[in-house]
Order: sequence, then C-alpha cells, then structure tokens
Amino acid sequence: MKTFLKIIAGLVVLGVVALLAFILVPVQRTAPTEQLAADWAPQPGQGEYVMRAGDCAACHTAPGGEPMAGGRAIASPMGTIWATNITPDAETGIGGWSLDDFRAALVDGVAPDGTHLYPAMPYENYRFMSEEDIRALYDYLMNEVAPVRNEVAETELSFPFNLRFGIRAWNWVALRGEAGFHPEASDALQARGQYLVEGPGHCAACHSPRNAVMAQDGVHAGDAGFLAGGVVGDWGAPALHGPASAVKDWSVAALAGYLASGRNVHSAANGEMGLVVAESLQHLSDADNIAMAAFLKGLDGAVGEVPQELAAAPSGHAMPPEPADAAGRETARMLTEAQPDMPLGARLYLDNCSGCHFVTGKGAPEIFPELQGNTLVTSAQTAPLISVILHGASLPSTARRPLHLAMQGYADRLGDDEIAALSSFLREAWGNDAGPVSAGDVAAVRAAAPAH
Amino acid sequence: MTDLPGYPSRRGFLKVSAAGLALSGVALDAKAQDAQPPVPLDRYEPEYLTADEWAFVMAATARLIPSEGDGPGAIEARVPVFIDLQLAGDYGTADDWYMVGPHDAEAAPDRGWQTPLTPAGLYREAIPAFDAWCAETHGAAFAALDGQAQDAALTALQKGEVPLAPELSPFFATLLANTKEGYFADPMYGGNHGMQSWVYIGFPGARAAFREWPERHNVKYPLGPVSIKGERA
Repeated sequence: MKTFLKIIAGLVVLGVVALLAFILVPVQRTAPTEQLAADWAPQPGQGEYVMRAGDCAACHTAPGGEPMAGGRAIASPMGTIWATNITPDAETGIGGWSLDDFRAALVDGVAPDGTHLYPAMPYENYRFMSEEDIRALYDYLMNEVAPVRNEVAETELSFPFNLRFGIRAWNWVALRGEAGFHPEASDALQARGQYLVEGPGHCAACHSPRNAVMAQDGVHAGDAGFLAGGVVGDWGAPALHGPASAVKDWSVAALAGYLASGRNVHSAANGEMGLVVAESLQHLSDADNIAMAAFLKGLDGAVGEVPQELAAAPSGHAMPPEPADAAGRETARMLTEAQPDMPLGARLYLDNCSGCHFVTGKGAPEIFPELQGNTLVTSAQTAPLISVILHGASLPSTARRPLHLAMQGYADRLGDDEIAALSSFLREAWGNDAGPVSAGDVAAVRAAAPAH
Repeated sequence: MTDLPGYPSRRGFLKVSAAGLALSGVALDAKAQDAQPPVPLDRYEPEYLTADEWAFVMAATARLIPSEGDGPGAIEARVPVFIDLQLAGDYGTADDWYMVGPHDAEAAPDRGWQTPLTPAGLYREAIPAFDAWCAETHGAAFAALDGQAQDAALTALQKGEVPLAPELSPFFATLLANTKEGYFADPMYGGNHGMQSWVYIGFPGARAAFREWPERHNVKYPLGPVSIKGERA
C-alpha cells in the first residue's frame, strides 16, 4: 500500500512537472529553411508583393483602418479574435521584433514572448514560405509600412480556448509537413503555382475541410483532403479538384482570369473570394495567376492549354451568351414557352432572374455568373444560395475589370416560400442535380444578419 | 434625367410612394401573393386630402376613367389612393422643384409649372373654387352632381370655361395626369390595384426579360404581369 501511494505521488509529481514544462518551457523555433547570404536584400517591391500574395491586409488592416495596424475582428466559433497590429510601431506593433521573431510567428505560430498565436493566423500554411519571401516580407513590414500606434483589443476567448498553452498540443497534432517548400510537380510553372497556393496564398485555410480538432485537413498537394472544399461560416469554399471541383470545366486561362479579375466566362467572385481577389490576387503577376491555375488543374491530371499571359479586358466586341447545351435544353425550352401553368419556381425565375442569367442559365460572360453547374447553386450548403437571392451579391472592382458589379437582393420582393421554390428550381434546372430547399431554410438565413 | 416641372421626378416618385406605402398600412409584405386585401375606398383614411377633397377626387377620377365599359375604372384601380399618397409626399410639396417665380399662367405648356402653388396646394385651393362654381352653375358641389353634369363640369374646366384664379389654371391638366399615373403606375404606389390596368392593356410589368420574344411574330405573349414588389397577376 505504501509503495502504491508512493507510486501515485510520484506520478502526480511527474504530471505536475510535465504540465509545468508543457506550459513554461519555450517552444523551440524552427530554423531558417535555407541559408541566405548575410548581405541578402530583397528586390524593390519584392516584400510588398509577398504581402499581396499572403493577403496580410485581409486580416491585419481593419475596415477603414490604417494599413496593417490591426483591429479587425475575426469571428470564430470560440469568440472574436482581434487581428494584431503588424506595423513597425515599437509598443503596439512589431517594431521590436527580430527577423527570427518574425519567422517564428509565420512558421511556428509563436510570438516573441512565447505566447502561442491562435491559428486564425494561418501559420499552418505560411510555414511553407521560402526564407527569401519571409525576409522580404519582414523587410517590407519594417521599412515600408508606416508605424501606427494602435492598441488592439486583447483576444479573449471562452474557457478553455483562453488557455493559449493548449495551442502547443494543438500544434503537435495540426502542424504537419516540414517548414519550407517541397514541390510535388517537376514542372516549374506548376511548382510556382503550388508554392503560392500552399504557402503565402493559404488557400487551404478555406478550401480544405477542417478535421476533428479544427485543423486544416490537407495543407499540401497529395494530402487527401487538400482543397477538397471547406466551410467559412455559413458559406462553402468549393472544392478545387476532384469530382466535385468547382473549376473542373474551366480552362487554365479561365481560372487564372478569375483569380486576376474576379470574373470569367463561368462565374464571378463574391463574398470572401471577392475580397481575396480585390486585396490579393489581382495584384499578382499574370504569370503567377497562370501558375496557380495550372497547378490547380494539374491536381486532376491534364492541365490543358496554358496561356502565356491573360487577355486584357474585353472591349469593343460583344460576347454573346452561349446557347443552351444538351443538359440545359429542356429547362430553356420550358422557360422560353413561358406558359402560365409552369411550376412556381420556374415562373419566379422568369419574373426575377432570367433578364440577366437568361433562360439557358448560362448568364453572360464576365458579367453574370452561369447558374448551370454552379457549385454555389448546387452545394449541399444552401445558405449561400439563399443569401445571394435574399441580399444580392457584389463583385469587386479590379484593375482589369473596373466595373463594380452588384446583384440586388430580393428579400423585399420574394417570400420564404417563393425563394424556396425558386432555389429548388435552380438546383434541378439545366441538368443541375441537387435537393430542394425548404421555406424553413430560407427563414433561417433571412433571420440571420446578412454575411456579405 | 431632367425633372419636368409639374411631373414627379422618378426619384421623388419612388420616395413619396415608398413613404406613402409605409404610412398607409397597405404595404405589401414580403409574401407578395399573400398580401391582405387593402382597406375599401369608403373606409380609407386619406393621408393628405380632407373629406371634401377626397369626395371630389373619388368623383372626378371616376369620370375621367369610368368604371362602365371595357376594363377597370379609376375606382377599381384605386387611383384616388395614389393621388392622396402622392400629395402627402414630396410630389405634393414640390420638394425638389424650382418654385421661384415669375409664374405666368398664360405661358405655353412647355414653359413648365406656372403657379406658385405646390401640387398639394393646388388641389387644396382649386377643389373648393371648382365646387363653388359647380354649385353656382349646376346647383351642387361636384361630388353631388349626376354623371352627366359632372362630365359637363369637367369639360368646362378642361376648356378653361370655369373662371379660376390664374394660379389655379393647371388644375385640370394636373388632375388628369395624376389620374393616368395612378392608373398605370406600379401598384406599390397605391394605384393600379392588382395590376388591373396592366392586365387590361396586356403590359407584362416589371419582368424585364423578353429576350426570347422579339423574333416570335404573331405569338401572343402568354404570361400576365409582375409588379415591382413581385405580385403576379
């Protein structure tokens, strides 16, 4: 018995020591993944370009706030996370951070004082960034961003998520893949695309599903869940490869054009993706957007034709909408006949939607998204479709396509039953094959505040 | 778009009507097809018009677009409600019109609004003046006359045979224009109830999607109209 108690006491002591060590022993930082010359310096503009590719401003610039001064609220299921000030202000920003401190934040998710960052900071992805890009970005933030004194609210999540040392354990589970870039493709263009998608672009943060511990389930080409489709709030971030891919029928040129301008012959970027295009992707070179498109298409095999550069804004010539194809012909015929006894959903489509999206459901290239085969329309998550019908949608103005396009909402014009009938129609029209939407689904989205 | 004096601007029209609609309690709710039937005209409580003015507008519009014969009349289309709501809003107050003189009642029609009165003020002053003339000439206020006498009185008013103060001279033209507007405007403004006038003339309303139809000659367009609020008829 005495021996037994001794063993128990010993185990308790060991446990306490282990816990203290877990909490108090500093995290070992990952070393640079390549050795650069001591006098290495970024090219002019290189650091700003990395900032664009990494879309730092998406979180670290608050709406209407100074660049990189933080203060944007990032909603999470655990509570609000406040994006920090990453201007070089010594007291409220990162002015006191060394390059090693900065790298540790990007690669290990650790602040200089050892505090773990919440993984809203996508260090799961940034850890794949090259040492050159990390240094260029550090140089940019330190020397080209104006220091702004802005004390950002402390993030206070509910228990147990307020115990930041717990993230250490999370990192053991979540952080997979060594730091630095590990190309899968031998093709230089696709390798460049892979780098941008996996690393700075942190596409997997939205487009990969989350696993049981809310970590990205697939951060690297070859991971099963990589870019297999994720959820952002009530919105879906569609799959980018595989049978459910939103872009499986898109050419590299069309996909790269979407990234660069927010629109192409098939679709238009709205919601979160609209922000990504506006803040990040439109500022990248044609070559880089083509590289990402080629890499994404390459995930499913054949890449197809790769353009040298992207077409400039179409001007001076009409782009007639496509006629209905075999899958869409029956729906187009029914809408064209416009008989008063047509189903309610189809009648509502004629009354409200067909002026822009047309009886073919093909929309108009570069202007109105096609609804046939559109993953937002057919997604298992119906909230985005309902939200767009209720509240409309908005396309960013980009340098290539300056027109800020908006679709109006129909919350005042259509009731819940009507939007349910219309949505259900869209989900089975032109060969679409998705289940119906109920009036209750619509009421739930109507009751929630518009997300976009 | 340039605002024609004497005619509501599109923006003003929308604003007035939206405000009127919100106040009137006949607002169409989100479920357009389940909207409650509006309050009957004889129980309608005007926003702007007095009881006597309401009686006049009811009677006068009923003669301008009579209920007898083909198609709905002004009463079935609830034109008086439209006029009342317009006069209660910034059309009635000439909210964004240039109203500084000089005003010349003799000026050609293309010279614009030639009275210092707002539309609401015009109705307010012209109706008792015209009623007084009706009493003197036909023996009763306009609303109390029979149809034949009402037609004669309106004809005299239209031809300028009713002696009115110069600032009241646009009254008949304004009344007639407002009556037509109330008959054909979107139902969200209180008139054209149930899109009856659109059904009558075969206008398909605010659908704005007829791409398949310009080339289809001699085929009758099969669908009824849809309103801005989404009602179907």
